[in-house]
Amino acid sequence: MKMRKFCSVRNVLGVLLGLALLYAGFSAYYKVKYWGFSVSPKQSAKVWAIEAHVSFQADGSPIEVSLGIPSKNRGFKILEENIIANGYKTRKFADRIVFNARNMIGEQDLYYKIMVFDNTGGKDKLKDDAPVAPKMPRWDENTMAQAKQILALAKDAEGKDDIEKLVKLFNQEPLSPALKSYLPVQYTPKQKLEIMQQLLSVKGIATRISRGLKLEEGQKILPDLMLEAYVDRAWRLYDPDTGVRGLPDNFLLFQRGGKSLLDVVGGEDSNVKFSLQKSITSTMNLASRRAKLLRKSGLYNFSIYNLPLAQQNSLKWLSVFPIAILFVVLLRNVVGVRTMGTFTPMLIAMSFVQTGIGAGLVCFSMIVALGLLIRFVMSKLNLLLVPRISAVVIFVILIITGMTFLGYNLNIKIAQASVYFPIIITAWVIERASITWEEDGAANALRELFNSLIVGIIVYFVIANDYVRHIMFVFNELNLVILFAVMLLGTYTGYRLTELKRFAPLVEKPENK
Amino acid sequence: MFNWLRAVCVLPAKLREKGILGMNARNYSVIAQYNSRRLYPLVDDKVQTKSLALKAGVQTPNLIGVIAHQYEVENILAMVKNHREFVIKPAHGSGGKGVMVVRGYEGGKFTLASGKVIDYNEVYQHVSNILSGLYSLGGQYDSALLEEMVHFSDAFKDYSYCGVPDVRVIVYKGYPIMAMTRLATAESGGRANLHQGAVGVGLDIKTGRTKCAVQHNMPITQHPDTKADLRKIEVPLWREHLLIAAKAYEMTGLGYFGADIVLDAQKGPMMLELNARPGLAIQIANGEGLKKVIKKVDKYYPKSLPPEKRIDYILR
Repeated sequence: MKMRKFCSVRNVLGVLLGLALLYAGFSAYYKVKYWGFSVSPKQSAKVWAIEAHVSFQADGSPIEVSLGIPSKNRGFKILEENIIANGYKTRKFADRIVFNARNMIGEQDLYYKIMVFDNTGGKDKLKDDAPVAPKMPRWDENTMAQAKQILALAKDAEGKDDIEKLVKLFNQEPLSPALKSYLPVQYTPKQKLEIMQQLLSVKGIATRISRGLKLEEGQKILPDLMLEAYVDRAWRLYDPDTGVRGLPDNFLLFQRGGKSLLDVVGGEDSNVKFSLQKSITSTMNLASRRAKLLRKSGLYNFSIYNLPLAQQNSLKWLSVFPIAILFVVLLRNVVGVRTMGTFTPMLIAMSFVQTGIGAGLVCFSMIVALGLLIRFVMSKLNLLLVPRISAVVIFVILIITGMTFLGYNLNIKIAQASVYFPIIITAWVIERASITWEEDGAANALRELFNSLIVGIIVYFVIANDYVRHIMFVFNELNLVILFAVMLLGTYTGYRLTELKRFAPLVEKPENK
Repeated sequence: MFNWLRAVCVLPAKLREKGILGMNARNYSVIAQYNSRRLYPLVDDKVQTKSLALKAGVQTPNLIGVIAHQYEVENILAMVKNHREFVIKPAHGSGGKGVMVVRGYEGGKFTLASGKVIDYNEVYQHVSNILSGLYSLGGQYDSALLEEMVHFSDAFKDYSYCGVPDVRVIVYKGYPIMAMTRLATAESGGRANLHQGAVGVGLDIKTGRTKCAVQHNMPITQHPDTKADLRKIEVPLWREHLLIAAKAYEMTGLGYFGADIVLDAQKGPMMLELNARPGLAIQIANGEGLKKVIKKVDKYYPKSLPPEKRIDYILR
């Protein structure tokens, strides 16, 4: 008996629902983590096209140009890489690219272009060799005293560690008088960083300068700088403007470890310019490349997201229906709304998606009203069922044709929407409404029509919602959850909400006594 | 909003306490449980129900003939030539839809029960409509039944505005558990549908006397049109009514159904039709919940008794 109770339909479905939930949850996690799918439909990934343009004057001797480049696995993922260097041999290393050539004279232009996206992961610790202990700067006593004073000031500044405190102090507005007198009157960002480095070396903290690009559209003559400090046995990045530790979201490291950004042998006036361009693409478009980069492409290639776009769009449209069906089931079996036909409201909602809700409502009401009128005339003829409903179908087609035609010629946009309504369903709505009208009176017919429209509108707002559509397609395992939820609802034996009103007279209320 | 809700609705717990059977519970816990789907045709098709009733010795209005195909429709006059009055109904109809009562005919003119006179073409059309499935469940092709007319007893004469009411008995596991009669009103257009304004009169299952009467869910004491005192209804031959309902259990094998029974002045109670999915409005007419009674039957009522003994048990 106990075993049987455990194996009841309800329990089995409940367990299946739980399993489906687990599976959907895991799958959603996997998709977000490895394929980069996002929950929001509007989430788009920024793809940056970055171009490093190296130019110099060649003097005829063998040329070797070495440019620091973003190394792999530094957060950003490289979508495409492109090198334009005519007549040069190129070699790529982990974090540098080297161009070699002979017998070049005059103006030389080398381009290194990459497209990157996504800079998540690996933001804090950056593996690298441990530095030797920094040398104490050789300063006179006066400078040293000033430096110590500044360091003492920095100690009181806000910040999580010495480096952040110092950077904050350097960026205070206005600068503290002690620091102002210590700094030269004019200084470049690089000089500012070098002064910070010196001060930190007094404290025995090894530092170095890294170069990279803050991702903002435009041209850059100079790369942006980051301060690196060796803290807790790892190199850590600090934003020289805010002191915040870690690689900022929009920062692409080009060169690290105090090495030069550009070395040119056999040329003069060397210069590197950067230009950045942003393009937006949906995260879905990047999913396949991302999966490939993460070596998770096997599953991806076998998923629906690897289908041709046309098929994907059809599936996207299909994936939204289970949730619409769930709503229909809830409205009928839990709320207890009486509608015309089970899925008629859903089909009406589907047309509303094509027409827009306002135009759809107006059009649908007009088609049904006109159809009912014709149907009433027709009921005098006492036709047999199949020819009668067929005639209604043809009438619906004629009404739709007429409304679309008039709508176009009179420039009434709303009327043109009528072309999207499913003719057979509309005809059945008219037929059923007219039979209900004759048998149970106008009030009942209109109530049923009204209920169907209300349910249609509710379903419309579900399936027209961008979030719902996106989520149901991207995390389509949820449809499995809905399946079991619907089946579980098939065992729901509680009262419908409308029954609370219907059977209310059976319960004597205390205030009536 | 909230106050309004509180005024019109009740908490589910209250309904549960009262033992009210909801639509979901009826479908899932009762009908799906006790009514095997393969038995439905027995009650959905009135021809089959009739022949079953004949075998079980349950009275039904005599069958004159069945018209199953369009080409047979013209035989209609030949079929009814020995009958002065007859009823045409769809074999798969429900709730009295598509029923035409012909009280007399002469020279191509047919007088209906309502007093309306129509000509042969209209009768022909009506039968055609039945065959094409206009009144059948789901609209599938149907056949038309020709039956002898029931001569209703006078018992309900004062209580009905139009037509004659039948008695609906709910049978669970062979035991009649609840009964009511539905009285048409002017408002309901002569139809016996409670939601259209017909009066529902709950009948005491032991006596066949009025328990309470409701219209639009509100208790009333007199018929809105005939002004007859609804509290005084007492169905004659009550035991026979119950017996017909109880016998239908063995006849069909359905664990839960509604039996519609009419009282013929000469022949006594007759089974009109059975319904495997009887509505829940009977609870409102009785002021009582079906689930409460169902539980009682499950728990206390003896199993595998013959129909007579079950009625004895009910009336004990």
